Amino acid sequence: MQLPVLNDAPAHAAEKKGGCSASSCGTTDNQMDSLPDSIREKVQNHPCYSEDAHHYFARMHVAVAPACNIQCHYCNRKYDCANESRPGVVSELLTPDQAVKKTMAVAANIPQMTVLGIAGPGDPLANPERTFETFRRLSEEAPDIKLCVSTNGLALPDAVEELSKHNIDHVTITINCVDPDVGAKIYPWIFWKNKRIKGKKGAKILIEQQQKGLEMLIAKGILVKVNSVMIPGVNDQHLAEVSKVVKSKGAFLHNVMPLIAEAEHGTFYGVMGQRGPTPDELQDLQDSCSGDMNMMRHCRQCRADAVGMLGEDRGDEFTLDKIEDMEIDYQAAMEKRAVIHQAIQAEMDSKRLEKAEKAQQHKQEPKLSTRPVLMAVATSGQGVINMHFGHAKEFLIYEASPDGVRFISHRKADQYCAGDTSCGDGESVLQVTVRTLAGCEAVLCSKVGYEPWEMLEAAGIMPNGEHAMEPIEEAVMAVYKEMAAAGKLDSTPEAVRASA
Amino acid sequence: MAVKIIESCVNCFACEPVCPSKAIYEAKPHFLVDPKKCTECEGDFPDFQCASICPIEGAILNSLGEAINPPGSLTGIPPEKMAEAMAELQSH
Repeated sequence: MQLPVLNDAPAHAAEKKGGCSASSCGTTDNQMDSLPDSIREKVQNHPCYSEDAHHYFARMHVAVAPACNIQCHYCNRKYDCANESRPGVVSELLTPDQAVKKTMAVAANIPQMTVLGIAGPGDPLANPERTFETFRRLSEEAPDIKLCVSTNGLALPDAVEELSKHNIDHVTITINCVDPDVGAKIYPWIFWKNKRIKGKKGAKILIEQQQKGLEMLIAKGILVKVNSVMIPGVNDQHLAEVSKVVKSKGAFLHNVMPLIAEAEHGTFYGVMGQRGPTPDELQDLQDSCSGDMNMMRHCRQCRADAVGMLGEDRGDEFTLDKIEDMEIDYQAAMEKRAVIHQAIQAEMDSKRLEKAEKAQQHKQEPKLSTRPVLMAVATSGQGVINMHFGHAKEFLIYEASPDGVRFISHRKADQYCAGDTSCGDGESVLQVTVRTLAGCEAVLCSKVGYEPWEMLEAAGIMPNGEHAMEPIEEAVMAVYKEMAAAGKLDSTPEAVRASA
Repeated sequence: MAVKIIESCVNCFACEPVCPSKAIYEAKPHFLVDPKKCTECEGDFPDFQCASICPIEGAILNSLGEAINPPGSLTGIPPEKMAEAMAELQSH
């Protein structure tokens, strides 16, 4: 079975770097060709690892791990904030017992939840007792849930043995550098062998521990994904090297995420005015790394207590006082979950098949010689265009080119239409949303209101509500062909962004 | 002779397990140090263990009441820069 996920370039496509620079042509199929079946099997229903699966399956994080053993310049340890959505932020710290209860409550109520992760708000492996107690109990009491952990890597070598005892087949290590000089600009200190060690010396130890941990996990047969934060002027040039190194050691996926830095977060980078990358810079780096490595592009950089599909957070429905009142019969829930998972799997399989057929058709049609175009899509899941423009909290960005359609990234948007009668300052939020879509030439959604329609047109973005409920890739390709037929896509080389 | 944890503590638990004297305990609204048990790590470690892992500047005081990790020492953010950023935010 083919798993059409994860943007990855087969070696031959990486060399030519033209037109469709990161493969995934026709559809996003064949992207995981380089992965062995055993890995595909493991990731096919994991929303964080599979671009395809993230349209169908949900995840949750439990915040049981408050302590940390290092400081990163993009993190502020005063983490308690309800209104922010970024890693390291949580509202409610849980004990392992509360975490187990919450996980089972969510699993029973959101049956498409397949994955439980521990990601903080500190470092899970700097809280080994709370983290492993949670894993131990969940692998016994909720054996149908996949368990994951995410770590900075400092304490990883000492934890590998314990990790391999539980139901954990995925570990994420955040590796921002393999060079201590770069590390010194990202990590001000680490706590190591009863000492706070600052600067390059600390960074060197951290890097050694990360690499050692990575090697040990691979030797144990545990899947490793590597996260990197792209920090312009600090490690952006260096991350291609990181990608090469981690790939050579056996990591199966590299997730390059943009730095989030705002002064109000109180982080070093935020206060010092370090900027994050633009969407173009991020895409260029992901494309340049994709020759060496499976790149992940659908990460939402979620909170350490997020609940639901990627891009949504239903944590409010499962606060401690609410789960206290829930009576969960997990045995019954598990049976129901199994049925639902099977149905989703069947739907995904049939969609994949359809996609493969369309791709085959596409290959047989005469090839266009038009330039690539970015399009934004509003969706709430299931891989179809099914969301009203004004209700979209985020847009998925796809690139259409003569080679096909590939997923590029997501962009967050504030909802300007909350559905009430008075729109308040809706208009300015709408302007922000339109700005968010800069670089896109069309936006596909189930419906678009009159006002945003005009504003989008004025910004050079063609609104399109004609493909409601259609599969995303097909609709994007259809619109691309219409644009080509209408002569909107000249093929002058300077316009071809991706072939640069 | 004892260190003290003050209200800027964010309850991250990091200090509790590293204390060689088991002098640190969870309390509301924040972690506390039992002054009878705290040895300031004398005889065990050259550095205060709690203050060596604490991520919050100013949250742990020495027996003279001084911040063991003064402003700017952990985050690297110069205090005047932080003040500037906060003033800027409050003016909005």
